[in-house]
Amino acid sequence: MKTRFYTTYLMALAFLIVTSCGSLKKAVFDQYSYQKGTEIKVDALRLMDKSSMEYSSQTAAIEHLEAELAKIVEYEKNKPENKIGYAMWKMIANPDKKFIAGYLKMWKEKGTVSPVFIDEAKGQVSEALDLILQYEGKKDPAAENKLKQILGLQ
Amino acid sequence: MNVKDILKEIKGNLLGLVGEKFEDLKSESKKDVQDFLDASKEKLERWTLFLASGAITPEEYKWLVESQKDLVVLKGLYAAGVSKIKLGHLKNSILDTVINTALGMVLKPNDTEENADA
Repeated sequence: MKTRFYTTYLMALAFLIVTSCGSLKKAVFDQYSYQKGTEIKVDALRLMDKSSMEYSSQTAAIEHLEAELAKIVEYEKNKPENKIGYAMWKMIANPDKKFIAGYLKMWKEKGTVSPVFIDEAKGQVSEALDLILQYEGKKDPAAENKLKQILGLQ
Repeated sequence: MNVKDILKEIKGNLLGLVGEKFEDLKSESKKDVQDFLDASKEKLERWTLFLASGAITPEEYKWLVESQKDLVVLKGLYAAGVSKIKLGHLKNSILDTVINTALGMVLKPNDTEENADA
């Protein structure tokens, strides 16, 4: 009798945790986002190294990077429960913010930029993209999978 | 632009995002805020020297300072996201413990009910 009471109590508690657990609905670790983010970071920093040259000499690579940024923003936008990830990518891709899209805008306006500025700006762009990659990496796929197994969702 | 004023503005924005006074922050958050401010100070001093020596233009200097301010916002988003993830992990652990305890009770060979019947 006592056991049945405790079991019912614990099951009710588990049910409450599951139903009240909004964070379980958060975006889970996404291998594509992580991989794409890493590729964008590498491409962006390599392109920045070339910004002592004329902007017009690199238009193909610039357009490619801008297209990749647009694609990841669109992808993140449509991922469920991903407001923070989407907001972070939107900042990176916004030409009015001082990250990679803002850098490309400045390069276009000035034609070329100084070598010291390239190094310093690379640090800033790299730090911003690292934050997104670290955020994605913090999402623990093992914990999510274990929970789904317990709940019989896998 | 004065380095001290910029740092004050960055600290104000950062604490505004965290939503607490620096003195009231938990040690982990406090360290995070302080590390970011120290890094900002170092960068601002370096950029000011570059500007004075003509290694970067005033426009480039302004871009870098603004990028540090934008990083504050991005850092705020990151911190909010990570707290949400940590909360999720904590709830998952609680759920795991509750379910394992319940299963342990159900599968226990000699439970109190049997003892009572005996």
